[in-house]
Amino acid sequence: MFAATLVAACAALASSGLAVAAQPSGVSVALEPLRIHTELGRNVLVHATFRNNGPAATGSLIAHLNVLSLRSGVEVDPEDWSTHRTRYLGTLPTGGSQTITWKVHAINTGKIALYVAVIPQAGLSSRPATGRTVQLVVAGRRTLNSGGILPLALGIPALLGLMSGGIQVALRRR
Amino acid sequence: MELAVPTPPTRRARGWAIVGEQELRDLWLGGRGMLLGVAFSLLLSIIAYLTATNQALNFLEQREAVNLTLQVAIAVGSLLALLAAADAVSGERERSTLESLLLAPVSRLGITSGKLIAALSLWAAAFVITVPYVWFLGRGVGLVGKAVLLGLVVGTLLAVFLASVGMLISVFASSNRVSLSVSLFLLLAIFTPTQLPSSAQKGWAGEFLLRVNPLTAGEHYVGKIVVNDHSWSEDASWLISPLVAAAVFFFLAAFVGARYMQLGRRASE
Repeated sequence: MFAATLVAACAALASSGLAVAAQPSGVSVALEPLRIHTELGRNVLVHATFRNNGPAATGSLIAHLNVLSLRSGVEVDPEDWSTHRTRYLGTLPTGGSQTITWKVHAINTGKIALYVAVIPQAGLSSRPATGRTVQLVVAGRRTLNSGGILPLALGIPALLGLMSGGIQVALRRR
Repeated sequence: MELAVPTPPTRRARGWAIVGEQELRDLWLGGRGMLLGVAFSLLLSIIAYLTATNQALNFLEQREAVNLTLQVAIAVGSLLALLAAADAVSGERERSTLESLLLAPVSRLGITSGKLIAALSLWAAAFVITVPYVWFLGRGVGLVGKAVLLGLVVGTLLAVFLASVGMLISVFASSNRVSLSVSLFLLLAIFTPTQLPSSAQKGWAGEFLLRVNPLTAGEHYVGKIVVNDHSWSEDASWLISPLVAAAVFFFLAAFVGARYMQLGRRASE
């Protein structure tokens, strides 16, 4: 009923001369899990299932994963969080589905949002279809104990220096 | 009846081993190699100390700290191999010891191969020295094994390339000073693209320059795996130029260098 109303509204707008952004018709995006708790530096997996609920096969689709911080002041570079964020799905037949898994690397602490948008490959004016937002809560983790660096930083050159001196002394004694 | 007469390939093989052993003795027991090793470890100590004591070090920066240490180790370790190779023939010529070396019952290929091996031993030592630093910086993020193996592969390719270039220059240089100067100039030229602004490195021309230059290509590959956690195969095309450069220049240094090795060179050459 709603879909019929929407189509009618779009048709009315189109006939009135206004540009209407079409969505990949009938494609739904389901993400899981929707809430993830992890630690800094860990990898988590996010699965996205794309289903064609429409009456006809879709054209080629492109899915894109987006990453952003829910708090201002936290800089998030999505490239660091997940490589290959853009996936080319191909076409989906009527009733068909496809699942994509993204490996996401927790780079910053805090509350992070992930969402996936799908657009048709041949339709730059189309409005993307999106799924629900995944909330990623990243807890801090102390990964580097700098306490041991001084013995290492001094020890290795000292050890090499002693070895060098020892070799020279041994050679002179010969 | 087969007699135990040494065949030419065996003699050649023994020749490079003898030259290599002698060169290794000169380098390591003479103290020059150990001194360079101490200087190299001091450099890595300073870098590791500065990065490890950075209080704001988060996960990504820890990976970048490993990347920085590894890239410096590869670059400086390769430089050491280049300098040793740049002295290999021109140094012998200047010390008036090349004549006795050429008169020794060793093929010229054996001489160039043995000297290349000795020069590469500096990279091997630099790599061994690097391991504890990489272990310290990368242990919290499960990066140690990958970074060490990556450093070994990329560093060895670049060290073979640069040592071979140094050897070729040394064969054709009129003096040791010329050989070292040209080698250092060449090294600086090879490093120049790393100093270009990131905007200049983009586009087909920028990427082509980075890909063709073995040093920038190798370091780019290291960065992609260590910092961006890419798989080994994902950016494998970046290893083409280090691989090709190492193979081609090793062949040139060993065979062409052996062919054109002469007792004296005119100053104009």
